[in-house]
This record gives sequence, structure tokens and C-alpha cells, in this order.
Amino acid sequence: MKTRDRILHTSLALFNEEGEPNTTTIDIANELDISPGNLYYHFKGKDQIITELFQQYEHAMSHTLTAPIVRPLSPDRASVEDNWYYLYVVMEEMYQYRFLYHNLDNLLQRYREIKRGFKRLIQLKRTALYAICQTLVQQEVIDAKDQQLLGLADNMTLNLTFWFSYDTLLHDNRSPQVTIHQGVLQLLAMVAPYLGDDELSFYHDCEAIYINMLADTAG
Amino acid sequence: MADEKSKVTDKASEIAKNIWLAGVGAYGKAVEEAQGRLEKAMEPPKLFRDLVKAGAALEEDAREGTLAARHTVEERINRVRENFHNQRPARIEDLMALHKKVDQLTKKVDQLSKALAEQGVGRSSRSKTHKTAKKSDVIAATGSGRAVKKQARAVSTANKKTSGGRSATSKRKA
Repeated sequence: MKTRDRILHTSLALFNEEGEPNTTTIDIANELDISPGNLYYHFKGKDQIITELFQQYEHAMSHTLTAPIVRPLSPDRASVEDNWYYLYVVMEEMYQYRFLYHNLDNLLQRYREIKRGFKRLIQLKRTALYAICQTLVQQEVIDAKDQQLLGLADNMTLNLTFWFSYDTLLHDNRSPQVTIHQGVLQLLAMVAPYLGDDELSFYHDCEAIYINMLADTAG
Repeated sequence: MADEKSKVTDKASEIAKNIWLAGVGAYGKAVEEAQGRLEKAMEPPKLFRDLVKAGAALEEDAREGTLAARHTVEERINRVRENFHNQRPARIEDLMALHKKVDQLTKKVDQLSKALAEQGVGRSSRSKTHKTAKKSDVIAATGSGRAVKKQARAVSTANKKTSGGRSATSKRKA
């Protein structure tokens, strides 16, 4: 791995683990066992590192979020569960760059240059979730009016965006599996009132897995 | 020429429509880049041919980009599905299917036992009184004929499977 990539990689790990405000470029250089001068040669400061990490994230996430807009994830009713699995995919990807979501407002205040991109990403997230909900209506998986659908997509976006902060506030640091699984479960809980009995079984399976997970971590 | 022109305008209106659909610039970087390129192509009064070329290349890029993304998203969905199925609790349908299988097997074993009991008539007086043959009857009946022997073996292995614990304890006793 090139030094530049190593810096980005280590910075991401430190930001995620220690929190972005608590991590300085000196910390990053120390962790990598390189001189601060060497780091400065590649990045002029922390904001440059953060901007570049955000660009990586935006690039990957835009690709992921475009998928359900371009074409339904589930070609027919039988494969409806692919939509739920997709929620895991999105959340796992968010988790890789979770430092962005902890203290989001503060971060966007300090790093103006990523604010625009972040807004764009949230907008895209909304659209992707709306597209999924529309597919579910078309395939008669859920029954909802258009206005409800918009509200549902917004609620899901809200939940998705602030889930990690909420989870940390409530439970401190839990294992990523539990955090992500419960996050998806919460999203499903929003869709659940519109689901028929058949599709509810998936939701119940999800709940059962969650209970097992909690039992595993407790035991 | 007219066709090509309408293709470009279609493309532009398609992009515009997509942007509208996706909210402000929600199509993300890809669209922004695409737009940037389209604008750049528009700025100088270039030959129309170039414009079409740019449009076609753009379309190609966009298609490749989304296809690649699609691939990875699908792959990742597959991975999550697998993982999910491993953790999924047994469903009622699965249990019902299992019950059905067990019922069928029990029926088969009963039929075999019955056949054995009937063939054993005359030799063993006990099989007359017991409708369903027990293990001891099966052993008693093994003396009569090869076909019966084969059946008996099948039954006894079936019994062993269901009563593995018991045979283990009887072995210990011996």
C-alpha cells in the first residue's frame, strides 16, 4: 500500500474508533510510525484528509444508492426480501465511515466543503428509499397512498442517517452486527404497518434473530 | 441528423427528468460529472457531430458505471441473504414439512412391520396377537426367507436410528 493510501486508511480507523475531533494529524502520523513532515507532504492538514475520505465515501455510496433507482432490486414479488437485504448493504457501508455520522452537524459546520456533498447524499438516500417503496407498492407488497409513501421514505432516511448516533447514545458501543441488525429492524418496523401477513414473517424472523443476538452477547 | 439531434435532446431531457426524480442532484456525482461534461461540450459552438459523440460516450460511461455498481450491489445482497438464512429461525412451514416426512416414514415402517408379522404367521404365535411387530418379533421373524431378512434389516436399521440411545445402553449392559 502506498503511504498516501495508508494515511487515509489509518485516519479512517482512528476517526471511527476515537472520534474525529479527538484525532490530530500527529496522532495519525504516530499511529503510522511516520514523521509529521512526511504526512504533511501528502496531506496539508486534517481537513484535506477528511475531504478525501468523504469523497471516497460519496463515490461508493452514490453507486450503491443509485442501484434501486435505476432498476427495482426485486424483479418480482417472490424476491421482495432482496429489498430488505439491501438495507443491510447500505447500513454496512455507512458503518465503514461512521465517524461522519457521529456529531454530524458539528462536522458539517467545520468542514464546509463536504456539506454540499452530504446534502446530495441524503437526497439520494431519500430517493433510493422512495424508489424501493414504490416498487413495493407496484408489486403489491405494501399498500400505501403516495403521500404516505413520501412520509415513509423520509422517516426511513431520517432513521438511517441518525441511527448510529442514537444507538451509541443508548447503548454506548455495541457490536457492529447488533447495531446494524437493529437499525434494519427499525427500518422494517416503519414498513411493517403497511405489510401483509406473508411479508410480516420476514419481520418476525428479523426480530427473532435480534433476540438471539442479544442473548449471545449477554451470555 | 435529425435522429441524432433528437437523441441528444432526449438524453438531456432524460437527465433532467432523472434529476427531477432524484431530488436536487440526487443522482450524485455521476450525473454531476455527466452534466459537467455535457455543459463543457455545449459551451463552445462545436460541431454537432462532436456533440453527438460526446453524448454517446456519456451514455456508454453511464451504462458501464451503473452496471458495475449493480454487480457489486447484487453481490452484496447475495452475501447478506446467505448470512441471514444461516441465522434465520426454523419456520412453521419447515417444521410442517419435517412432520410430514416423519409421518411418511412412520407409515412405511408400520407397513413393513405388518408385512413381516403376516409372513411370520404360524411360526410365531405372538405375532398373531400383536398387530404392529416389535423389535423382538422382527428378530423372531428373520428366520423365514431371504426377502423377509432384507426387510427385517431395513426395519432394524430404522429402529436403530430412532432408538440410538437405547441400543447404546443395552450394549453397556451386555
